[in-house]
Amino acid sequence: MEKGRGAGYGVYVAVFAALLVLTGATVGVSYIDLGIWNVAAALLIASVKATLVALFFMHLRHEGRLVWTFALVPILFLALIIGGTLSDTLFR
Amino acid sequence: MTENTADGTMLSGGGRSRGYLEEKGFRSWALTLDHKRIGALYLYTTLFFFLLGGIFALLIRIKLMYPGQEIFSNHTYNVLFTLHGSVMIFLFIIPAIPSGLGNFFIPLLIGARDVAFPRLNLASYWIFVAGILVILGSLLRPMDTGWTFYTPYSAKTAANVTLLSFGIFLVGMSSILTGLNFIVTIHTLRAPGMTWHRLPLFIWGMYATSIIQVVATPVVGITFLLLAMERLFGVGFFDPAKGGDPLLFQHFFWFYSHPVVYVMILPAMGIISEVIPVFSRKPIFGYKAIAYSSLAIAFIGFFVWGHHMFVSGMSKTAGIIFSFLTFFVAVPTAVKVFNWIATMYKGSITFESPMLYSLTFIFLFTFGGLTGMFLGALATNIHLHDTYFIVAHFHYTMVGGTVVGFLAGLHYWFPKMTGRMLSEKMARWGWLLTFIGFNLTFLVQFYLGFKGMPRRWAEYPPQYQSLNIVSTVGSWIMAGGILVMFSNFIRGFFRGDPAPANPWKGLTLEWQTASPPPTENFEEIPVVTDWPYGYAKRKTAGPPPRFFDRGAGDG
Amino acid sequence: METAEAGDPARGHGGQMMNAFAQSAAASPSAWKIDAVFLFIAVVSLFFFLLVEGMLIYFAIRYRRRKGAEEGATSEVRGNFILEVVWVLVPSLAVLAFFIYGYVVYRDVTTPLPGASDINVVTGQFVYEFKYPDGRAAMNELRVPAGKPVKLIMTSRDVIHGFFIPEYRIKQDVLPGRYTYLHLQPDLEGTFDIYCTQYCGVGHSTMRAKLIVMPPDAYAAWAAQGEGAKAAMSPPEKGKALMEKFGCMGCHSADGTVKVGPSFKGLYGRRVELAQGPAVMADEGYIRESLYDPGAKVAKGFPNVMPTYKGSITDDDVAAIIAHIKTLN
Repeated sequence: MEKGRGAGYGVYVAVFAALLVLTGATVGVSYIDLGIWNVAAALLIASVKATLVALFFMHLRHEGRLVWTFALVPILFLALIIGGTLSDTLFR
Repeated sequence: MTENTADGTMLSGGGRSRGYLEEKGFRSWALTLDHKRIGALYLYTTLFFFLLGGIFALLIRIKLMYPGQEIFSNHTYNVLFTLHGSVMIFLFIIPAIPSGLGNFFIPLLIGARDVAFPRLNLASYWIFVAGILVILGSLLRPMDTGWTFYTPYSAKTAANVTLLSFGIFLVGMSSILTGLNFIVTIHTLRAPGMTWHRLPLFIWGMYATSIIQVVATPVVGITFLLLAMERLFGVGFFDPAKGGDPLLFQHFFWFYSHPVVYVMILPAMGIISEVIPVFSRKPIFGYKAIAYSSLAIAFIGFFVWGHHMFVSGMSKTAGIIFSFLTFFVAVPTAVKVFNWIATMYKGSITFESPMLYSLTFIFLFTFGGLTGMFLGALATNIHLHDTYFIVAHFHYTMVGGTVVGFLAGLHYWFPKMTGRMLSEKMARWGWLLTFIGFNLTFLVQFYLGFKGMPRRWAEYPPQYQSLNIVSTVGSWIMAGGILVMFSNFIRGFFRGDPAPANPWKGLTLEWQTASPPPTENFEEIPVVTDWPYGYAKRKTAGPPPRFFDRGAGDG
Repeated sequence: METAEAGDPARGHGGQMMNAFAQSAAASPSAWKIDAVFLFIAVVSLFFFLLVEGMLIYFAIRYRRRKGAEEGATSEVRGNFILEVVWVLVPSLAVLAFFIYGYVVYRDVTTPLPGASDINVVTGQFVYEFKYPDGRAAMNELRVPAGKPVKLIMTSRDVIHGFFIPEYRIKQDVLPGRYTYLHLQPDLEGTFDIYCTQYCGVGHSTMRAKLIVMPPDAYAAWAAQGEGAKAAMSPPEKGKALMEKFGCMGCHSADGTVKVGPSFKGLYGRRVELAQGPAVMADEGYIRESLYDPGAKVAKGFPNVMPTYKGSITDDDVAAIIAHIKTLN
């Protein structure tokens, strides 16, 4: 895949700004007491940031099916390690 | 000199070409981008650590001849078994087949000129060396936690855990880069006409292995970072006093370290799948079953790590789930074994050393695999876990399996790699001694384990002594076998008879080029027209089937 | 308590249990049950082993080519779908049987035994410490009366240790910061080894203890003799005193009255509905966690106001408090 397809600096600056805003949001949310949802909020914001980085900075949105497969399949393994560990900790 | 010129691989110019080995000098090796040279570097390095780890093993066995501290202190023993495990696993058995033989043979078997990223390949070798240096640096205050690094002991001991785990982190990084390189190579650089179902089975094994390396290795890297943070900054990920959980470490560790045994065994199975048809002169039986069972093992292998933790205090629910899933790794493994044996049925079998090692692989690995059944079942596991039964099972699968498969590969490809033949007589002696010594060493350990002797014990009650002596004597015989084998390698390397391009009459592409191969592998990239296992010889005479054409395209 | 049950008729059946391997008596039901699983897997595996190695060796001899002989004609067969299905299905059924049988016996030997007496085990580098309900303690020596089930409540002072009785075929790791359990049915009188199976440091291999299964009357005599040497207070008494000292009874009652927090009466072994979600079993682990980290699992309907006692009480104190709470059932 060739780089810089149509995307100028503008897109990168915008994504960078979005990442900064989301970092601010992470800090902000930590001051609000949401109980267990604090963790969920922090993880959600972090996932959005990771998605932005993968799509724009790592050019995933320009890639073909094979690269998308290799990008998405590890999420299954992430779910597996979390699920497997929870099968222990939840039922102790 | 009689070259096998059936495939026209004689090189122009007088005398014998040394192929990729032609260029001499330190720089030509240290900065080489040739996958064959990098593969050879990996092989030299890993074989050195195989011998080193073997010396540790001999010392362990010598200590265990006596129940007390007669030979050396318990601490020395604890350091030795940690070093034996760490060196053998991280510096020999994980990199040996994938990075050594894999680097050398993946491009040759798929008809490519090199791997996809030659510079990354060189970088991964030097990262590996850096990791080794860090690990050697940790020996100043040697570690005694075992290769499993269980917390909280590893977080508390005064030994150099941080340094050793950082060294393994680097070695793991090299392993990720190599795996990544192989995946891209197999996807993009196959010769024209080489569809997925025409891939040699060694490539299928390597492909499955590479995926495990890329997916699982980062987990152990991060786990070791967490351990380092715990040791350096007192962050209590695994410390119950700070709200952490020691079992979390075990989950993370085994999420990598279980699949990694398939990193070890799958390429070895790939080698066996190449050797058996060549020496049986028969097409491989059940090609697709063998190919897909590699992927199935790699995939299911990720679901079973909890079987290392049945008695660890893990929840019973998790134990039941993991026991159930564990058993289903056995099925694709059994499928492979049955297919290999069916390949031999009505073959025309010869027993040169590669075949001898391959049959030994099937013999020992089947035994090792079946003893795994006792460990997968919950009830028997709570008796046998952490005893010598585990030690014996592990060595039957990893030495009897992976190492024997690796040796099959070394004997099979030695003529191709060096351009020289090994002495068949010495190879047989080496095999015989190794086989006898190995079984003597480890068979008795099953019984020791059943009688309750725990692993990692420096001292033991006297009732276990007699069998330990048997085991130690076995280790000496095995060491003798390995010594003969390595003498054969060295003798063959310098003074072996010149090897023809295709001494075993193999049909895979590496045999269609010179021995040793030229730097660019093939004068012209072959065009593949059939699978590489058309070994059957018809009753009526006729030309042997060819599955490739020469030179219809280049790259 | 032991003396009362010294004449327990359960003692009689012990010696008759047969070991699945030898005609010798099994030390405990767990031993012959697990040996039976071992034997079952061994027989089925032996069948597959002989099948595979038999074919391997037979084919190697039958289809060998003599030195220098011409390559014989070989078949072109590339596979057989039905065979593939057969050797997927048959091993699948075998391993399914292994799993089920292994699971059933596992469930059996890890289920608490009715009428078991509790013994606390505290491990540390490199000793086992056993604490009896009546306050006696012993190092590296676990004495129990034959025929009477025992529940070991184990925790570690430092790193992970193992607790393995080879003759009983059972083991369990002992963790710091948590309780793990082992359920013993000592049938056969005698002395049995206890080994540490989890590497724990330089003394790992000498971290061994003895399980001494005594005739009930001899055990009673021993327990009575130890009376003088035992701690000033039994754990439940000590627990009661501690709970008064720490002011627990300000918020919790011992008689079922609901105060700021739930009552301790009948708490142990009950399921507790949690404010955060599903119910948990109020076992040793739960009580311990509630002392160290009260906010983690708050009982439904009660405010999350309890302070943590982490740092102010020792693991021994926790064990004593749990012992006292158990007496309130």
